[in-house]
Amino acid sequence: MADIEETNKADAALRTEVRAWLDANWDGTLQPDQDKWNLSAATKAWTAKVLDAGWAVPTWPKDWFGRALSAEQADIIAEEFARVGAPGARQDKSNLAANTMLAFGGEALKRQMIPGLLKREIVQCLLYSEPAAGSDLAGVRTRAERDGEDYIINGQKVWTSGAAHADYGMLLARTDWDVPKHKGVTFFFFPMKQPGVEVRPLRQITDESHFNEVFITNARVPAANIMGGLNNGWRVLQTALAYERATMGDRPRGARISATSDDLIALARHYGRLEDTALRQDLAAVLSLRKLNALNNARAQANLEQGTSSSVMSLGKLAMSRILHEEARVRTAIVGAESLLEGPDHPFGDDANFLAFNAYFTSIGGGTDQIQRNIISERVLNLPKEIEVDRNVPFRQVRSG
Amino acid sequence: MTTSEERNAICDAVRGLMQDRSSETAVRSTMETPQGYDPALWAQLVELGIVGLLIDPEYGGTGLGPLELELVMEETGAALLCSPLLSSGVLAASLLSACGEKNAQARYLPGIAAGTTIATVALTGDAGTWTPEGVTVDARSANGGALLNGVASYVTHGQIANLLLIVAKTGSGLGIFEVDANASGLTRSALPSFDRTLRLARLEFANTPARQVGQMGWPAVQEALDVALVALAGEQAGGGRRIFEMTVEYAKTRIQFGRPIGGFQALKHMAADLMIEVESSTSAARHAAEQLAEKTNQAEEAVSLAAFACAEAYSKVAATAIQMHGGIAFTWEHPAHLYLRRARAYAQLFGSPSLYRERYLTQLGA
Ligand SMILES: Cc1cc2nc3c(=O)[nH]c(=O)nc-3n(C[C@H](O)[C@H](O)[C@H](O)COP(=O)(O)OP(=O)(O)OC[C@H]3O[C@@H](n4cnc5c(N)ncnc54)[C@H](O)[C@@H]3O)c2cc1C
Repeated sequence: MADIEETNKADAALRTEVRAWLDANWDGTLQPDQDKWNLSAATKAWTAKVLDAGWAVPTWPKDWFGRALSAEQADIIAEEFARVGAPGARQDKSNLAANTMLAFGGEALKRQMIPGLLKREIVQCLLYSEPAAGSDLAGVRTRAERDGEDYIINGQKVWTSGAAHADYGMLLARTDWDVPKHKGVTFFFFPMKQPGVEVRPLRQITDESHFNEVFITNARVPAANIMGGLNNGWRVLQTALAYERATMGDRPRGARISATSDDLIALARHYGRLEDTALRQDLAAVLSLRKLNALNNARAQANLEQGTSSSVMSLGKLAMSRILHEEARVRTAIVGAESLLEGPDHPFGDDANFLAFNAYFTSIGGGTDQIQRNIISERVLNLPKEIEVDRNVPFRQVRSG
Repeated sequence: MTTSEERNAICDAVRGLMQDRSSETAVRSTMETPQGYDPALWAQLVELGIVGLLIDPEYGGTGLGPLELELVMEETGAALLCSPLLSSGVLAASLLSACGEKNAQARYLPGIAAGTTIATVALTGDAGTWTPEGVTVDARSANGGALLNGVASYVTHGQIANLLLIVAKTGSGLGIFEVDANASGLTRSALPSFDRTLRLARLEFANTPARQVGQMGWPAVQEALDVALVALAGEQAGGGRRIFEMTVEYAKTRIQFGRPIGGFQALKHMAADLMIEVESSTSAARHAAEQLAEKTNQAEEAVSLAAFACAEAYSKVAATAIQMHGGIAFTWEHPAHLYLRRARAYAQLFGSPSLYRERYLTQLGA
């Protein structure tokens, strides 16, 4: 009992402290960024301030910008930030690169990169997928070859979100061709701004251009930028994917034009459709999906510890994929004929179409729904594994597409 | 009535033309043009008798019916043809036939069949409801002619049509009115269509002078709309089938984990489920066409069924096709999204699936 009371007291004190800090520092004027790959100076300044105050990574150790708090306590901080709409807190949950770096970076690399990553000054992208290695990520063919203190990289990556702005890429490359595919890959923190790195934007079905092809020709990365050790890339990747999938399962991108249409009930009211009983049933169903996923995530996140593996995170991401596709379907039904239209003059139609299309970001990006289902059934439920013909074959002998 | 050999010949001719002139590359370039169709291809469709397919030979048409129309539309839909065929040769021609005014037919149908007139029908208002209540243009008579007031929207090819047929409310039911493309008090604005192979416009009328070409009740309008719905169902069935075939093909050739992705049961099951959708929409579209052609008492029910079944099947097939392709289909360069855009547009173009589900139930006696 006494313990619980003490915890409650500590929680209340923390809440008071965060509130006081926000009262003193947050004036609510910071504009949200349109492009998350290209943050405003104001956002960066705010993020640095949050970091200095110790709210950015509260569960991290004290000598790494943290407060060594529990996940529950850290959530109090997140709640208070969310209450006033302030960003920047609780990056220990969301900042994929910083978390992976803390878990797997060498001491010098961590000192060099973590502050910039947490201040969002260093922009990073994920150099995983290749034309012939998407779902089968362990089949990457980009090669890394040792040359003195460096590795020389050659290969092609694809679907690389944010590559055009990135300072560094989290690169998965092959370092040993004579062992089975999972055992010969290494994870590098790879500098993007150098000769030999060519980024070509790809036009997306949403008519945006966030993802890119990246051609790498004799580019260099210091051996000291290896994360998690040589040929241990698959292990590091699991952690990085866990953070990526946790974020994708928790906080997807919303409406592009009209923020009010994030609220489906308000949207239905706007169209005078709230009396429609069939629609009401549909609305209740999709709104409940989102709520239930949030509850699941809240329970699951307690288990997301440092250096965790990604299996459990697959559940939230898979659920979110269904939520986004289903919400888009109901949104389209509400908007009706206006979904024939796009552009700023038809924000509700545009949102319906954009969100229907952008839902594939979640159902394909970060590992497809089908792959998440395989992971859940095989790694979480321990159902018999699908036979993988090339799993134990030296990579040199593997058939590629 | 054509024989099945004759129908095959028509379809072969259209398929050949689509392969030659409506390839993916051609569609992509035509969809970016202001007028949204290729005049040379339009002329060839006229020559093949497709634009005048429904029009009586007396007026220079081919004199065929819904059966042949539906089959032709499966081919054009598969190729994502960009053209005012649906607006002019189907909807406008059917409306003029349904209104039964000989004079109007003699005046307009020959031009439509010859492709020199591009006609369209303006019916619904901003709400986009394809019902009598959806009509938001009012007509009143004024010194021998009529004046229109109100708004018509989602008018297919309304921006390029040189014959605008407006369905408007009169003191006694609905009338069809012709409005001059540059009439005073008419504001035509192009609407940004999410499906870029399509052209839509909004028309505003402020005491716009018009000529009445017919007077009719809603049943006659619905009769014309039913023909257009069958044509639309044909395009939906054809489009769904094409993107489905492309997807199955891709699943056989794309290698991951050392084998074709089509070997994974997850994809096999998705493909099998989609096949039900594809076959069902073909059946629904053809059944509706037959019933309409034979004017049976189940025609309306069959059209309603096709209207929502084909719309939903097409959307499902095109949407799942993207998922089955993975990242490649998230790119603009891949054709899958063109099909999904078309599917989403056609699901609303002449009324929503929920409208036709209701109508279907009503016709079933519920
Ligand atoms: C918007 C977007 C952003 C992205 N951003 C990035 C990024 O920043 N960095 C990066 O590296 N990658 C990124 N990706 C790539 C993404 O991770 C891959 O697209 C994804 O993993 C699928 O790979 P693929 O595209 O090669 O499809 P494939 O692997 O070829 O899959 C094709 C189909 O086969 C299915 N399939 C494959 N294997 C199996 C199996 N074993 N069992 C059942 N079904 C299977 C898939 O589910 C899919 O339906 C992004 C993708 C998108 C769409």
